[in-house]
Amino acid sequence: MIINKPSRVRPDGRGKVTGELKYMTDLSFPGMLYGKVLRSAYPHAEIVSVCTIKAEKMEGVQAVVTHKDVPGLNRFGIVIPDQPVLCEDRVRYVGDAIAAVAAETEEIAEAALELIQVEYKELEVMDSPEKALRPNAQRLHEDGNILHRAFFSNGDVEEGFQASDTVFEETYELPRQMHTYMETEGGVAVPEDDGGFTMYAGTQHGYKDRFQLARIFDIPEEKIRIVSSPMGGSFGGKDELNIQPYAALLALKSGRPVKIHQTRKESVRSGIKRHPMKITIKTGADHSGNLLAHDVKIVADTGAYATLGPAVLDFSVEHAAGPYRIPNIRTEGISVFTNNGVAGEFRGFGGNQITFALETHLDRLSGMLGIDPLELRRKNIRKPHDLGPLEHRIAPTDGAAQVLNAISKSPILKKTSRNCGYLQRGTGAAITMHGGGLGFGRMDAAGGRLSLSSEGKITASFGFEECGQGILAAIEQIVMEELGCAAEDISIVIGDTAKVPKSGSSTASRGTSMVWHAIQRLKKPFLAQLKKRAAEWSGCSAENLIPGAAGLRDKNTKALVVTYKELAEKGPLAEETAFDFPTTPDPVVGGHFLYSFGAAAVEVEVDLLTGDVKLIDCEHAIAAGPVVSPQGYRGQIEGGAAMALGYTLMEEAKMTDGRYAAENLDHYLIPGIKDVPDMKLIAIEDLMKGDVYGPRGVGEIGTIAITPAIVKAVHDAVGCWINKLPISREELLEAIDRKGLKQWT
Amino acid sequence: MDIKEAGPFPVKKEQFRMTVNGQAWEVAAVPTTHLSDLLRKEFQLTGTKVSCGIGRCGACSILIDGKLANACMTMAYQADGHSITTIEGLQKEELDMCQTAFLEEGGFQCGYCTPGMIIALKALFRETPQPSDKDIEEGLAGNLCRCTGYGGIMRSACRIRRELNGGRRESGF
Repeated sequence: MIINKPSRVRPDGRGKVTGELKYMTDLSFPGMLYGKVLRSAYPHAEIVSVCTIKAEKMEGVQAVVTHKDVPGLNRFGIVIPDQPVLCEDRVRYVGDAIAAVAAETEEIAEAALELIQVEYKELEVMDSPEKALRPNAQRLHEDGNILHRAFFSNGDVEEGFQASDTVFEETYELPRQMHTYMETEGGVAVPEDDGGFTMYAGTQHGYKDRFQLARIFDIPEEKIRIVSSPMGGSFGGKDELNIQPYAALLALKSGRPVKIHQTRKESVRSGIKRHPMKITIKTGADHSGNLLAHDVKIVADTGAYATLGPAVLDFSVEHAAGPYRIPNIRTEGISVFTNNGVAGEFRGFGGNQITFALETHLDRLSGMLGIDPLELRRKNIRKPHDLGPLEHRIAPTDGAAQVLNAISKSPILKKTSRNCGYLQRGTGAAITMHGGGLGFGRMDAAGGRLSLSSEGKITASFGFEECGQGILAAIEQIVMEELGCAAEDISIVIGDTAKVPKSGSSTASRGTSMVWHAIQRLKKPFLAQLKKRAAEWSGCSAENLIPGAAGLRDKNTKALVVTYKELAEKGPLAEETAFDFPTTPDPVVGGHFLYSFGAAAVEVEVDLLTGDVKLIDCEHAIAAGPVVSPQGYRGQIEGGAAMALGYTLMEEAKMTDGRYAAENLDHYLIPGIKDVPDMKLIAIEDLMKGDVYGPRGVGEIGTIAITPAIVKAVHDAVGCWINKLPISREELLEAIDRKGLKQWT
Repeated sequence: MDIKEAGPFPVKKEQFRMTVNGQAWEVAAVPTTHLSDLLRKEFQLTGTKVSCGIGRCGACSILIDGKLANACMTMAYQADGHSITTIEGLQKEELDMCQTAFLEEGGFQCGYCTPGMIIALKALFRETPQPSDKDIEEGLAGNLCRCTGYGGIMRSACRIRRELNGGRRESGF
């Protein structure tokens, strides 16, 4: 990787390599009980009756809760609260909660669940959007089975198709992917004397959890403290509430701390997943490769409840033409309720699905046109000052052309050795564009605080969480660079609503970006306060002082004038800021303003005997502004690529009749070390002249272009186009057989 | 009475002795208790993580008499009389060289798989001080990481190999 910046050891590194760091699921409290949640036995049923008497009488059981114990709104959901905390009369997926038990041990709690008698009346299972959309289908929610529709149109696609020389249509199918964070959902609820509680549990937005829990418990938000960091991975999967309401209900009822740590099986069953989508694309182009019309239909299986399903669909619709400018476009999306789990927020946020479909579609179209696939892209790529994909104004960027040019030069694409008996190799490339932040019209407030602690540390406080992405390292790096102090002078506080200002969510590739923006706002007034105090203390003029390691220094001699510790003795000192993520001035709901760009070139090897596809080589080009933390940047791109590799080649949380086919990591396979090659990374750091928005986040951008690049490379190797993920070995073998590639047989 | 209504099947606890990170422990436990539960709940050694509970992910990797094992697949009676090393047992006055390598190379992100990864590498380098890249992949084949894409982990392992080759430090393996 070419980044002119030394790598630093992460602030949370030592605790992680020694095992000393306590995750929320590692915590214990005196008198702590263990909780278990009873989930529905059926994907769709009426609840006729629930009897908890036997469980309550069991020795060692301290509390049993049902919907009757929910004091406030018995619903949750970040935007639309439609998911029952504890179901009253109906269950809509196998993860729906009916009751929860707290007991002296986990074993007793588990045994007590068995004693809760639930009488169900089974209902027809809506196990596909097609079924749920039938005119006579039973309604899963009061308003029917459509969660959300999204639509965008510009120009006239019919005219565009008529003017086209080549028109091509295909349908692409995307699987349900599981986040598979290594730490399953869990934490401890501790009742507090004021009738409130402290919730120690991983989440990607502590203040949002507090808001939701306050609504469920009908108590003021101030009575709830959320400690939400660190986490053993999240990737969007812990953004929505999971075990928090159950642990807290049980804690308040029993008056004792209650820990819930889901087993993997419980996590698979109850946790959200990536939306399965069916995407039909019809694209027209003239003979020289100008894209003239693009008609896209997206059907998303959103499962039983809303969570962020509408926003995910909006994102897919927004990115339907990716970084290309097509004069006539029409995109229509529909997100449908079913009894298939719950689909929601997941790294890439709808971009992965649509980009696979779009990029593969362009590759296939280029074949029909007889134009090099990268040349086709170059012809249609957006220019720096073009409008955004929803014809809205965005921050000018040349990222699309930058990553396309960079990846075009990849040595991987020049490889010629392809054939080795039954192992055939091929190469492919793809690019993507990805909006950061939540988008226009969505609450996307950010903020932060700089203060001088009584120990003389410059304390940076943010309402973000460390999920593993490296936000602590990013904060340390940005504070060091912008203020000029040393790492030893800094302390960082995150993930605790009792201690931090509101910063918004640790999602949508926004954390690093928002830290940078906050420090830009804070540094001047904060340093002015420091200098003023230092000038009073030392008698030097404030203009002659600059911040450095250990304290303020003489501007010319760099000699230490006064230490931060000495300044702290004069009392507290703080600056706080609150602002919003930059948005487009055009009122386009969900439209983004800051975009990052990614490209991938890959080489794969296809085994003609087994249908196995192996990633052999991989290079990324990323344009997301300046690199903040080199190790973190590289880790996000490499890790994102591995996750995308899994999405493309092996991962599917398959459901049959509304039930998960795989319950643990023995059947749900994620990439292991042998599956992932060494990767190269080109970081394009320069922004447009006059760009004031600083580094963009890179949490998602590495997860997207890899998928279509692999699919292109498979075609390059064996001449078969894939339109359904993950690539099925059986289907690939059949296609290979049809092609007669196994010439020795 | 239905056997279920009697609650969890009553099993007698027995006394077990084991050495954990050099310290002798005597503990009363149901013989089938998972060693991972014993370590995490009884000994408060929470560096050993549990992610799948069925021996597939390696987050609970520990050393039993120096050999790599999954704590989630080991029962209390099987650990009786044995010497167990967890991630907490690697560090003496200073960090173990495997820990340092992970720290400096960025071989971790969320950190949840890290103790298991480090323990697995400890076992690998003890048996094969100069492993090939393939040996490293084989040695870590039982450990899953969802964050890093394994790049940083591979770089950490290669650094350990380099350092052992250069003999810059006492290996301690």
